Amino acid sequence: MDRPVAVELTAPPREQTRAIFPDESGYVERDGIRLYYEVYGSGEPTVLLLPTWSLMHSRHWKMQIPYLARHCRVLTFDPRGNGRSDRPREAAAYDEREFAADALAVLDETKTERAVIVGFSLGGQRGLLLAAEHPERVEGAVFIGPSFVGGGEPSAERIVYDFDTHYDTDEGWAKHNRFYWLRDYSGWVEFFISKMFPEPHSTKPVEDAVGWGLETDAEIMIASQDAPSLTPEESQELCRRVRCPVLVIHGENDVLASLSRGTAFAEQTGGELVVLEGSGHAPHIRNPVKVNLLIREFLESLP
Amino acid sequence: MTVASPAREQTRARYPAEEGFVEREGVRIFWERYGEGEPTILFPPTWELVHSRCWKMQIPYFARHGRVVTFDPPGNGRSDRPRDAAAYERSQVAEYAVAVLDSAGVEQAIVVSWCDMGESLILAAEHPERVSGLVFIAPALPTREREVPEFPFDVELDTDEGWAKENRHYWLRDWPGYVEFFISKMFTEPHSTKQIEDAVGWGLETDAETLLVSFRGWDTKELDPETTVELSGRVRCPALVIHGTADELVEHEWARAFASELGGDFVLLEGSGHGPHARDPVKVNLLVHDFIWRHA
Repeated sequence: MDRPVAVELTAPPREQTRAIFPDESGYVERDGIRLYYEVYGSGEPTVLLLPTWSLMHSRHWKMQIPYLARHCRVLTFDPRGNGRSDRPREAAAYDEREFAADALAVLDETKTERAVIVGFSLGGQRGLLLAAEHPERVEGAVFIGPSFVGGGEPSAERIVYDFDTHYDTDEGWAKHNRFYWLRDYSGWVEFFISKMFPEPHSTKPVEDAVGWGLETDAEIMIASQDAPSLTPEESQELCRRVRCPVLVIHGENDVLASLSRGTAFAEQTGGELVVLEGSGHAPHIRNPVKVNLLIREFLESLP
Repeated sequence: MTVASPAREQTRARYPAEEGFVEREGVRIFWERYGEGEPTILFPPTWELVHSRCWKMQIPYFARHGRVVTFDPPGNGRSDRPRDAAAYERSQVAEYAVAVLDSAGVEQAIVVSWCDMGESLILAAEHPERVSGLVFIAPALPTREREVPEFPFDVELDTDEGWAKENRHYWLRDWPGYVEFFISKMFTEPHSTKQIEDAVGWGLETDAETLLVSFRGWDTKELDPETTVELSGRVRCPALVIHGTADELVEHEWARAFASELGGDFVLLEGSGHGPHARDPVKVNLLVHDFIWRHA
């Protein structure tokens, strides 16, 4: 495939400085795929910051890690497809269940019996799998702007165009399309990230997130898009099996994962819902103090 | 001008414990006090293009450690907008500061100024008993002769490009255009949209007519080099000068020379523009905090 632009743009940018650096880092391997993880801080509980869609890697938690690591132990890892983890090319490797299994492998490798999981966006699906199917490993679950298909309505503006159809326009959500990704991957990344941060004064989060998106490429993202994900029925069934405390944090102006989805997710898991006025899809990045305090409050409420 | 109507007041991290007006020669000056106890920090006004909300990233932090006093300049905020140039003299602003300290029951304060054009220096030199320390953030005090500006302020020009906007006729024609231009030069750091939006808002709370009462070019606002050097020599309290390497309004070499005249410390902030206390408040707050407690 002819993708000169995407290839050129995937050169990793210079690493930024960090508020804190990991106390420990390493790789765990599953089925020949190496996953890069980091450990910060010590003590109880352990918080596992789950990967989201492979468009981003673990640096999207950069506003949570230094704060949470002052109070507990923090684990995070790069998703397959971005960051320092491997980048398999086939769609099957990006099955939601693979991400959940990766999380268990990281817990095992770091000798973590139980953790509070925090998932953002697609992290909601892999987090739901973990909480429902491995209750002995999950003390509690926080979901931020979760992508959930078991209830609520999809974001209205996202469902106008189909991913696999050829269109004669590149306007707006027509960019969310296989052929456009191959033609102008960076154009899609910039568009999608601009939708992630509808809040004013988001130039820094936008710049960061576009940078993470350009660390992977169209082919990987298409593989992840084509991968099996949870059906509505599976999602509802998994929710019924969740026993741990759940907190859902959702921005009222989220246009990527609609608030009604997050609301349904909280209802079906018996969780608490916090709606953030004026927030978009990624309040943990754009409004980290508020989200960090909510997470900390949740941690303190656990038995 | 409809754009000059005051913007809706934003919420604040902290609200004043006390507020009031002082009146000097018919001019009412609005002041606020936050927090309790010592030390007391006075944040005086700078050019009346902005008002005391320019200290919003300092007030809540320092009010946790002591008492904070600030006031609006004549010509902006809740202070009067006098039509007499004498009301805007830097020595007069120093007298407003004394009156505000009196009113707030403050004997002595550490004075933390931004883009000081002389008021804090005069206050410390003329009223040494009221000032226990001086911090100058991006001071605009010359110790040598300034260069003649590229565009004359009073002459009608045939261009509006760049610094040609700093012109009486342009101000009267398009005040918001000037404010946006000037503020864009104030915050040269990337990701400054919030600071720019705030400062443009403050600039639009006053107008060209008000600023023109006392402005006919920077040499008409700031102290001259001889006075700056003379007053600097009279300052006995500890002093700190903070300046950014990317300040496009005042060269950092000016500030370094001024710090040297004062015998004060000089901290150069890599990559900072003219308003580091607004754009990089944690760093500036910690520097000021460290200065205060080192000399307490």
